[in-house]
Order: sequence, then structure tokens, then C-alpha cells
Amino acid sequence: MDWNNLPWDKIFVVLTVLVSGPGVIVGIVVPAVGQMLVAMSGLKAIARQPEAGDRINSIVLLSLAMLESLAIYVLAIILILIFANPMLKYVVNVE
Amino acid sequence: MRRMNSPFTLVFLIALVIALAVVGSLLKGPAGEAEEPNVAQEISPSVTFTLGPLEVTSTVISTWTMMLLLGAGAYVAGHNLKLRPGPVQNLLEWIVEGIENLIRTMVGVEDTTIFLPFVGTLAFFIGSANLIGLIPGLRSPTPDINTPLALALSVFFSVPYFGIRTCGMWGYLKHYVEPIFIMLPIEIASEIARTFSLTFRLFGNILGEEIIISILFIVMPLFVPVPMMLFSIFTGLLQAYVFTLLTCVYIGGAVKAHK
Repeated sequence: MDWNNLPWDKIFVVLTVLVSGPGVIVGIVVPAVGQMLVAMSGLKAIARQPEAGDRINSIVLLSLAMLESLAIYVLAIILILIFANPMLKYVVNVE
Repeated sequence: MRRMNSPFTLVFLIALVIALAVVGSLLKGPAGEAEEPNVAQEISPSVTFTLGPLEVTSTVISTWTMMLLLGAGAYVAGHNLKLRPGPVQNLLEWIVEGIENLIRTMVGVEDTTIFLPFVGTLAFFIGSANLIGLIPGLRSPTPDINTPLALALSVFFSVPYFGIRTCGMWGYLKHYVEPIFIMLPIEIASEIARTFSLTFRLFGNILGEEIIISILFIVMPLFVPVPMMLFSIFTGLLQAYVFTLLTCVYIGGAVKAHK
């Protein structure tokens, strides 16, 4: 097999897209499970002690925002990979 | 006042949506048969004109438009305040009291006089910056990374300001080494990391919305993006709330440091 004459730029683009899909799936499912746990325990705490609802509410929202930012990091990385890949110029300039 | 449940209201709403779509397509210029619709072009800020070495992008224009609207609105709403408020003043008082309550619970002080101008300005600015993209022809400034970075940097510099103002210089500097001096690099690293976290949270959320809306807009331009745009109102206001909440938490960390 002639490794030098393979269309590396096309392979690079295809690999990027192939990696981005599972990356999005993993990066969204894991923070979603974390957010589920936070919302569940927040609901339980409010149901047990409704008069502490305001305080619990703000803490739950804070934790949800923290977990949300994990998914946002994945989104930013995937967007950079697809739309503005900094490595692409090395691959395209090979030939 | 006439009640608004007549069938004309529905017709009026549909006509309004169609009129907004027509105006938006006219403002966007002739729909390009020549150029292909491109997601990256739809969301990235475009250079409108150059002013010497400065490139004035569409972000700057929509930010200044928003500032003009906010300033004019604040003047109109605030130049004759009444003891028995009308609907507009009532709404604004509700928002301001909500922000005051947020500061009271998260910062942990009773007197919100020195915190309210900064935190309230941030809340109003981010909320209206996320919503201004719904006006056809304007583009919200937050999907450009410079705007969230500037906001997060202003939070980064305001935290030591409020800390020094309430605890004094020595009291503020002492909280870096509070339990033990080995916490110093961790504290400094977390101050820098949370600035970038604030930036990317706001940027990524609004950018994701904009990308989904523009993909739907490319696929089916007329009615399909409307539910997603309605959802983007909710997301934008929620992000403004989250940014304000985190600002209050960070300021509270500096203010409550020496107690």
C-alpha cells in the first residue's frame, strides 16, 4: 500500500467528522447524568423541607450552571474541530 | 382596555410573523442563488467598515444600538417615577428587587448599595444582548467571543475592587492565604480559570442556539426556526441569570472572606 499517495486531507476531514459525533454524544450524556442527579437530590431536599426552598433553589441552579459548562466546553471543542481546525493547514499543505 | 382573545389576535400574530420574515429577508439582501448558505458565515461577525486600523464589526454596531436603546429606555422609564407605579415601572421594580434579593442571598450583605449598579448593569446588558438578535437585521453581540470575554474580565477586576472596598486591602489579601499559605497558587489559578469558565459558558450557550437556528433557517426558512427562536428567549434570559448569579457568588467569596 502506498501511504504517501493517499488523500490525507480528505481522510483528515472524514476522521474529524467521525470523531465529532461520538464526542458530542459522550460530552452531552455525562453532564446530563450529573444534572439529573443534582435536580433529583434538589427536588428531594425541597420535598423534605419546603421552607428552605429558596436557598436550595439557588444552589441547585449554581450546580446546574457548573455542569452545563462541561457540555459547553465539548461544544466549543467540536465547533473548533469542524469549522476552524488549526491543524488543517498542515495536512492540506503536505502535497 | 379591550380584551385580547378575539380571533383577530391570532391573525395579527401570523401577519406579524410573516411581516418580520419578509423584512428580515429584505434586510439580509437578495437571497443568494449565487452564494451558498454557510453556517460559519451566518454566525461569525462581519466587518462592516474600517476606521483606520480599527475594524468595526457588526458586533460593535449591535452593541451600540443596544446601548442607545437601553439608555433611552432608562431615561423614558426613569425620568418621572410615580408613587403608584404603572405597568412598565412595576415590571422594572420587580426585576431590580429580584436582583437585590439575589445579591442579599448570595453575597450575604444587607446593604446592596455598592453592588447593585455593577450587578444590575451586567444582568440588563447580558439579557438584552441575548435578546437583541431576535430583531431582524441585528445580530446579538454575545456569540462573538470578545463580548463575553470583556464581561468576564470586568467581573475579574471588580472582585478585588469590592473585596478591598469592604474588607480593606489587608483583609482582602489575607483570604488568599486563609487556612494555610499553600492555598495561594490554587486560589490564583481558580480566579483565572473561572474567568474563562464565565466566558465560555455564555459564549457557547448562545453560539449553540445561533448555530441551531441558522441550520434550521438554511434547511427550512419560513416557520421551522420559530419554536427554536422562542426557546432561545428562555435560554438567553437563563444565561443572563446564571452569569449574574455566578458574579454574586464570586463577589461574595471576596466580601465574606475575612468574617
